[in-house]
This record gives sequence, C-alpha cells and structure tokens, in this order.
Amino acid sequence: MSKSDIRERGAGMIVEATGGNIQSVLHKHGRDRAALIPILQEVQESDGYLTIEAIRRVAEHLSLSANDVYGVATFYSYFRFNPVGRHRIKLCQGTACHVRGSGRLLERVKRRLGIEPEQTTEDRAYSLECVMCLGCCALAPTVVIDGKTHANMTAKKIEMLLDGMTE
Amino acid sequence: MTFDQIRREAEIRWRAFSQPGRLQVRIGAATCGRAAGALEAKEAFVQELAARSIDGDVELVEVGCLGLCYAEPLVEIRGRDGRRVLYQKVTPELAGRLVRSHLVDNQALWDLALAVMSGAERKGVPLFGHLPTIGPQVRIVLRNCGLIDPGNMDHYIARGGYSGLERALLTKPEQVIDEVTASGLRGRGGAGFPTGAKWRFARRAGGDEKFVICNADEGDPGAFMDRSVLEGDPHAVLEGLVIAGYAIGAATGYVYVRAEYPLAIERIEGAIAQMQGGGLLGRDILGSGFDFEIRIMRGAGAFVCGEETALMASVEGRRGMPRSRPPFPAQRGLFDKPTNINNVETLACVSAIAARGAEWFAQYGTEKSKGTKTFALAGKIKRTGLIEVPMGITLGTIVFDIGGGIPDDKKFKAVQTGGPSGGCIPAQHLNLPVDYEHLAEVGSIMGSGGMVVLDEDSCMVDVARYFLSFTESESCGKCVPCRMGTQHLLRMLTDITEGRGQPFHLEQMKKICQTMKDGSLCGLGQTAPNPVLSTLRYFTHEYQSHIHARSCAASVCSKMFAAPCQHACPVGMDIPSYIALVRAGRLDDAYKILKQTNPFPSICGRVCDQICRARCRRAQLDEPLAIRHLKRFITDHGSHPGFEQIPVTRRQKMAVVGAGPAGLTAAVELKRRGYATTVFEQQSAAGGMLRWGIPAYRLPRRVLEAEIDEVLATGVEMRLNTRIGRDVSFEDLERDFDHIFLATGAQMSAPMEIPGEDAEGVHGAIEFLNAVNLNKPLPVGKHVAIIGGGNSAIDAARSALRLGAERVTVYYRRQRQDMPALPAEIAAASAEGIGMEFLVAPKRVMVKGGKVSGLELMRMEPRDFDSSARRRSEPVAGSEFTAEADTVISAVGQRLEVDFLSKESGVTVKRNRIEVNEQLSTGNAKVWAGGDAVTGPATAIEAIRAGRDAARAIDEAVRTANGEGPWQAPATERIDIPAEVDEDIISRPMTRVPELDAAARRGDFSEVELTYTLAEAVAEACRCLRCDFYSDWHGTDRDEDMQPASGQHG
Repeated sequence: MSKSDIRERGAGMIVEATGGNIQSVLHKHGRDRAALIPILQEVQESDGYLTIEAIRRVAEHLSLSANDVYGVATFYSYFRFNPVGRHRIKLCQGTACHVRGSGRLLERVKRRLGIEPEQTTEDRAYSLECVMCLGCCALAPTVVIDGKTHANMTAKKIEMLLDGMTE
Repeated sequence: MTFDQIRREAEIRWRAFSQPGRLQVRIGAATCGRAAGALEAKEAFVQELAARSIDGDVELVEVGCLGLCYAEPLVEIRGRDGRRVLYQKVTPELAGRLVRSHLVDNQALWDLALAVMSGAERKGVPLFGHLPTIGPQVRIVLRNCGLIDPGNMDHYIARGGYSGLERALLTKPEQVIDEVTASGLRGRGGAGFPTGAKWRFARRAGGDEKFVICNADEGDPGAFMDRSVLEGDPHAVLEGLVIAGYAIGAATGYVYVRAEYPLAIERIEGAIAQMQGGGLLGRDILGSGFDFEIRIMRGAGAFVCGEETALMASVEGRRGMPRSRPPFPAQRGLFDKPTNINNVETLACVSAIAARGAEWFAQYGTEKSKGTKTFALAGKIKRTGLIEVPMGITLGTIVFDIGGGIPDDKKFKAVQTGGPSGGCIPAQHLNLPVDYEHLAEVGSIMGSGGMVVLDEDSCMVDVARYFLSFTESESCGKCVPCRMGTQHLLRMLTDITEGRGQPFHLEQMKKICQTMKDGSLCGLGQTAPNPVLSTLRYFTHEYQSHIHARSCAASVCSKMFAAPCQHACPVGMDIPSYIALVRAGRLDDAYKILKQTNPFPSICGRVCDQICRARCRRAQLDEPLAIRHLKRFITDHGSHPGFEQIPVTRRQKMAVVGAGPAGLTAAVELKRRGYATTVFEQQSAAGGMLRWGIPAYRLPRRVLEAEIDEVLATGVEMRLNTRIGRDVSFEDLERDFDHIFLATGAQMSAPMEIPGEDAEGVHGAIEFLNAVNLNKPLPVGKHVAIIGGGNSAIDAARSALRLGAERVTVYYRRQRQDMPALPAEIAAASAEGIGMEFLVAPKRVMVKGGKVSGLELMRMEPRDFDSSARRRSEPVAGSEFTAEADTVISAVGQRLEVDFLSKESGVTVKRNRIEVNEQLSTGNAKVWAGGDAVTGPATAIEAIRAGRDAARAIDEAVRTANGEGPWQAPATERIDIPAEVDEDIISRPMTRVPELDAAARRGDFSEVELTYTLAEAVAEACRCLRCDFYSDWHGTDRDEDMQPASGQHG
C-alpha cells in the first residue's frame, strides 16, 4: 500500500462520536491485543466505517496507543475511514476476471458514476471498490452489489443493474 | 450418545435422504451457484411447489459445488422413478417447467439435462462419472462437495466422516504422524512441504501450549478451491484440524478465513456448533481424553496474511507483517508457542487419509507428489470449474480434455499456474505432468491450485504487469527488496505496456527479480518476480515488440494504439475510418483510405483472414464486425481512385522475382519511390497464389486482374513466362540490377511419401489448383479423395466438386478442431456436401493399370501435444481400411522452388525457408526476400506487408549508401473522417453476408459470397464502436508514407 493511499484513505476522516454502538462491541471482548481486529471489524459492521473517536476508544479499551490501533487499521484494506454509499459496488479485479475484461467494466462504471475506486458519490448513493478475487473465477467477470454476487458480467448488464437500482 | 450411536442414526438419515422413493430437488447453492442465480431458481421451485400443493412431498435441499461452474445453476432432481438427473443453467422459468414435467408428470426434460447422477443412462445424457470433465478426476478433497447438504453433519458422518478421527484417537499421536508421513502428503497451500515432517517438528517442540491453524485466507486471485470445500463440506476440513491438533498436542485450533467468504464462515460456524453437539469438539472428544476447541478469526483483506508468520501476527492483533525465520512457527509461533499451520486442502486430505490409510492415498500421484490436487480452472476455457486430479496428469489433459479447450476457435497461448507467485506455461509444455517438481522445472509453481488459461487475446506483458500491480499493492513494505522491487518492476512493466519501454528494461528487470528472490523476507517477495521471469523466458518476443515496435500482438495494451483492429492489421489499415465513411455513405473516400495502406483492397476484401476481426471489441457485446465484407463492399461500389504512370527518378534498377502479392506490392512501392522496377514471373499471368492457388469462386478473376492492372499502370515492367534459372540466370539478375527482391512463394506441393503416389490420378493440390486456374483442369474422377486440412485442401475439394466429382471427401489426420483451414471455408465445404473424415491418414494409393483404383488408409489416435497446442496423431496398429477413390489430391504441405539459388549466391535456404534477418535481407547484400518463401504458407496480407517492408528496406539501404536522407512521400489528400458515435449501443448480431445457394454452387466457379446492399453495409458499419474515437492514445497508427498506389489524383 503506498503512502498516498493511506493518506487518501485517512484524509477527511470523520471525527464525530458514534454513540453507544462501540460500547456494546467492546463489552463482548476481553482486553487482549488479540481482540483488536475482531473489535474493529464489528465496529465497522455496525457503523459502516471507523472514525477517529472509535479508534481512540478501542485503543483505550485495549491499553494501546491510538497510533498503534490506527497503524493496524490502515494496514488492512477491509477497513474504511469514510462513510460508504447506500449502494456498495465491488468489482472483482482477480486474474480470471481480468482476463475476461474486468478492466473495461471498471472504466465503464467509473465513467457512469464519476468516481474512482475507494470513493463515494457526492450524494452518498454509490461507493465503488475494487476487490482482488471474490473466488467466483469460473464465472468471471464478477461484481458484488449490496452484498449480492453477479456473475458473467458485461458492461451492458452492469448498466442495467445500475439503472434498476433505486437511489 | 456414543459415536457409534450417532453414526447409526446418521446412516439412517442419510439413507432416507439418498434412497429413491422420496421426491427431491438438490440445488447447488455455493457462492458460484448463487452468483449465477441459484437462489432465484430455488425461490421459483419453492413457489411452484407451493402452487401445486406438493411442497410437502418434495424435499428441497441446498448443496455445495460439484465443480461444474460453467453449467451453473445446477439442480438435481429425483423423480418418481428414483433416477437422479442433473440439470444445467436452471433459470427460474426452467424451474417451473421442471416441477411440472419431471416431478409432477415424471417426464424428465432430457434436452436440458447434463448428466444422470444415478440410475439408467440415456442417449445424449451420460452418467455423471462419464462426463469428459469428471472422468479423469479423482475426488478426495471434494469427495462430498455437491453430493451432501453441507449444513447436515449426518450426511458427512454417514459417508465415513469422523471415522478418521475415531481411528486416530485410538492410536498414539506419533502413529498419526507416521501415517500422514507415509501418505506422502505435501502442503497444498503452495510450498509443498511434507506435512508429516512439519507435524513432527511441532510435536517435538516442548511447551505447555501449542496451536494449530487452518489457513483459509485463500488470497490468490483465480483460486477458489478452499472456498468451495469450506462451503460444500466444512466438516472434512475441521475433522482434519482436530486430527492435526491431536497429532502435535495442541488444544486450540484457529480457522483463519478471509472476510470475503461470508458463506464459508457461516458454514464453519454451523459445523462447529454441530461438532460440539455431537461430542466431536470440546472436552474429552469421543471419550479419548483429548480436549480441543476451534476459534474462527476473520481476515481483514491483506493478501500477505496468507503467509504464516504474517497470519499469526494478524491473529495477535498486529499489522500482518512477516518476520524472519528461524525461529520457525513449529518452535515459536502464535503467541510465541509452537504452532502448526496447514492449508484447507491439506486438512481435507488428512481427514481422508486418517479414515482410509496412507497406502490408499499414496496409490495416486507420482513418486514425489502423492495424492490428488484441486485446481480452479478459469480464464479462456470452455468448461470453467473446480476439478481434482491425480498428480502427474498432463497439463494438456486438464486444458483440453477436462476443460474442453479454448472457446470461440481462438488459439491457446499459455496456462498460468500458482497465482501471483507462479508462472505462465506455453504450448510446448502441454505434455508436462502436473506435480511440484515439473512445474518448478518449467518456471512456475503448483501454488494453491489456481489455473488460468490464456489465449491469443491475452498479452503476456500485460499479464506480468497485472500480477505485479497486485503484489506491489499487497506488499507489506517491511523489507526493501520486496517493497522497492515490486514498485520498480511495476513501473517498468507499466512503461512497457504504455509504449515507453526501453531495451535496457529487460536486463534491469531480471536483476531486480534476482535481488527480490535472494533478499525478500517472505514468500510474497520471493515469488513476486515469477510472472516476470516466466514471461521473459517464454515470451521475450512480446516484450521486444512492445519495446521496439510499440506493438501488442493481442491488441490489449490500449495505450499504445487507437483501435485494436488497425493495430492488429499487418499493414495497419485505417479500419475505423473507412467503416465510418461507409456509415456516412462516402464510398469513394472510403476507397481512398483503403488504398493508402493496401494496393489490393479488392482482393483482400475477398480472401483476407481478418486478424482485425479477431480483435474487434464488438465481440464482447455480440459479434465482431464483418470488416472484410465492408472492405469488399467499398471496392465493389466505390469508384476506383484513378491511377497513372509514376516517373522514374532514381538511377538504381530493381528486380522482383515472383508476381504474387509480396512481389507486386514490393514492385509498386519501389516504383512509387522512383525506381525502375521489373517483375519476373514464371507463369503466364501474374498473381501468384492469388491466381494459381485461390479458386475463382472465392476470388473472381476480373477482381484480381483489375488490381494487378493498377500496379502495372504505374509503370512496373512485367516479364511473364520468365523463370529465373531457366530463362534468365540468377547471375544475370545480379549483374543487370542493383537490388533484387525474392518473392517466389512456396508453390510446390510436398509429397505424401506413400507407395502409389506416382499413379495417374494423383495430384498435388497446388498443381491441381494451378491447372484449374489456367482453365486447363486436370481430369477429375467420380470419387475424389483430398488429403490434408488446410486452406489448399479445402480449395481443392471445393474445386473438384465444381469440376463434376460425384463425391469429394477430405481426409485429415488430426481432429476437426485442429484443422488449419479458415472455419468459414470448412463450413462452406460442408454446406456444399463435401464429406470429412478425421483421424485418418493414407497408407498407400491402390493402383491398377497405372491408375488410382482406391485408397488405403489407417485410423489415427491423438497422442501428445505438439507446440501448436494440437495433439499429434499416431497410427493405430491393424486399423487399415480402404476407401473408394479414383482421384487423390494431396495438400499436406508446400515446398519452395528456388533451385536457381546456388551456394555462391549467398542466399541460404534452411528447412524449406529462405533465411532473412529482421530487415528481410539475405546473406547476399543485394538480395532481400519475403512472403511465403520466407515464412512458409501464410496469408495474403502478410505477404503484402513483407513486400512493403522490403521496398522500404531496399530504398533505405540505397539512400544510406549514398548519404541521402529518407524518402519524402508526396502529401496525401486529407480526408475528413466523420466522428459519429452512438450514445446508446443496442446489441445486434453481425449483418449476415448473402451467399450463393449451396445447391447452385456445384456447377460452376461463380463467386459464392455476394455483396451487401447499401442498407446492409450501413447497418453493419453502424455497429462499429469507434474504439479510435474513445482511445486516449495520441500517436498515429497510420503509415504516413503509404500512398495510394496511383500517386496523386484529382
């Protein structure tokens, strides 16, 4: 992961507090460092992304520095530091998908939504991610939209799916 | 309950599940199935069953993956007759029909069935085990996938599950390790380290606490084996984990599974709960005194965490960075305790070995690679999916027999194995036995089992760049060789694929690769160079052409060109422009564009093999453009640009030997540059293979003559009926001319080398076609046998038919899919009633009274692959048979006729080819050569290109010798190209080309392909996506100095 990626991902991190969700997550786990990643995963699942405040509270719970926790969170591409869109579009860029034209699909979606991967549209309707291999290689190219996997995608099929989605 | 009781009840329930009697629908609903629409199909079943009020009578079950991903969604139905039928590509609509027909009416829908799972076979629907994909497989790891309900532990137990654990717990841990060692099992995660040995290290390590970990972080893009096993048979893996724990003395096991596999996680969680309920997990397992618990840890999206020390760091809550070894995990691993990590597949093997014994496992595989291996077969292959084969099976068997070969008649290029740590294996190694050692020998690795097939549309440099973009992004950054190495490699590969490649890049990349292999801290950095090294090893020519010619043969590296069609064309015809002009109805202008790069567009419009079309991007939507037909349409309806004499302005005199497409193109190009040019042609008319090889029903004589006349009108001198060596000596040529271009082609039929070849009625295909085109055809009997499978064979066959043969049969020694002839030609021949027999070869011509009386043939069987990715054929002993024939035409190869070249000439011929360097010059400083004489039989457009290149090279040589600057081409007329592009693209197939009715073709040599109407041509032209318009490439693909053959025009 290059430096600029980290800066970009951390940039614009939202600071506001997240409320009671974190507390309930922390309650379920001990205070061992080994619980760090599962805690962060659960916080992200409930809030959609990690805020600075969340990082601080997790750090406090585990007696680690906020820096340390931030360092771990930014290492793993699973964690987001900005809100995601109402609709999450994940395009697989794995080998089999690449060989079957996933790059062109990506260009099409980027053009249509006007955003780059790891970004969310202005109206927070869509966010776009590239993932490395969803494991459906035999049905490449694959796309996951709102948790649902679609196979044998073409530019046309993606356009139709996006057309059919309500904001 | 004791385990015995559990097992007895499980067997009862399994029998109820699998016994005929109860109506059942099993739906393949692993992630692949779901992606293909399995849940929608399931919903349709639910609704239809409810609608008919039979939902109580029919059991509906979700099963895992059978590995036939290409046919998903897969549904198995057991009807009233108890037979289980497997249906493919089941849509919700089909679901409804299946309920009505198969379940209610007990009528299977055989047209939609793929196989019979159990019960009687039926014509056209084989038993599952006889499917070509399944036949060669040995399913050990996948033993239950797709056959059981993965959420039901009874199914697992009834089929032998946990009997391995039961046996293991009755023996000592060291004995368990002995058994695994004896089996020869090697780690299936990629490195292939002997599992038993690894367990022994961990066993021997001291300490009160040890761990075992199942590595389910399957991060290789292109690999989905582990996912399938976890989704389809989670207990197989977990049982293996418990056995591993027992063997090394660990009380806790982790399953580290990547977060991107939510269904797998769900299945594992469910399985663990079931194990706990059945006394197979927790305290005192099966009353043995052994305690074991399993924890699940989800990955968080870091490929490097597939590496064991990084994985353990992740479990400990740290950044997933590897550390140096020693100490190895077996001594100090997770939380500094002795730890053993095994891959999902390895553990699935362990549970099978524990149940059935080491000897049973070791019967499969090779000496050093025992057992089986799963592979995720993906990419450019007809039958994508998950397979499991014995080690030692050949690569070609996997790709062509199991996988069904390359779709869309495309050519095989390479197989990529081992994911981003692996390498690309070309056709020359298709006979390679697949095991750890052999894959390493050819520069790849087994890896986790990803196998991606690449075809002619894949660019190997792009493949290397793609893998580096992955490893560069996933590199943890801890060590310099990997962090900096991947960055530099990626930068250089990106430069090369975007037209900024430099010759020194190749050496520099090799050095960096070596440094990374030597100095990287972990497997990611050590193996990241493999894609680069292996593509450099086998595909250097692709790197070279990217660097030196800014050319990408697969038309993939789009930053180097505007349109893939133009880029693929050997002479760079400006296809998007002339198609745009057809769309606008400006045919005259379109014709001018054609002539800018090609002196023979009318001819090519009939006979070109259209590599442009093979790269047309419209194919991704529906069908590629009918480029050749549009070109032909332009030349039929546009007005020919005028032609005139070109004055001689240079003093050097040029000779061209051979008036085929290469020779004529060279002649006109030399004339344009101001040279007096003479063409020597041994035949009575010009044209080469265009006239003497290609029959008139493909290329009408008037079309051919018109374009040859245009060449002659420029002032090129033609001396017909003049054979070098007979009428003029080669030495005379050297004396009278400054430079010579040899374009003599390959126009002699190669002999069959069988007895009886000299009989009357046996002809070489070239000579036969020659005679037809001279209007003095050789006599053709009633039963004509054609030997061969290339274009000449088909040309001869279709000509023989038109000369009155009653029956024409083509005999080809390999299989149908191996025929080199154009698919359209083969189809046309079949439509005309020409018979074809495959896997046969002639043994002798039967002769009576000096004439052909029959043909004795042998049957052939396909054997090993050759480097053209086709199987060689070997005769089957004792398979001789005779066929009726009174005429035999052989089209088995073509030879050069260059007897006029003596050793003193300096021009060398090696293996039936004139030797030239890259600039097409020979060993004689005055002589260049090109076309079929240099390449062997090839296409017209390649010959045209050779003629063009030779003329340029000769002119350059003259100018350089005289200290002159390069030739300045006269300015071309600027033609404005319309920029009309459609916003909405509607899918439409290719506009069908009208053809002469098959029945009408037998009688004469009238042209078979007819031309489009204006409306049809415009409709087809509108399908062009104008890739040039959307390209962000700023150079020019067009040859600036390639002028219309006629020079200036009004």
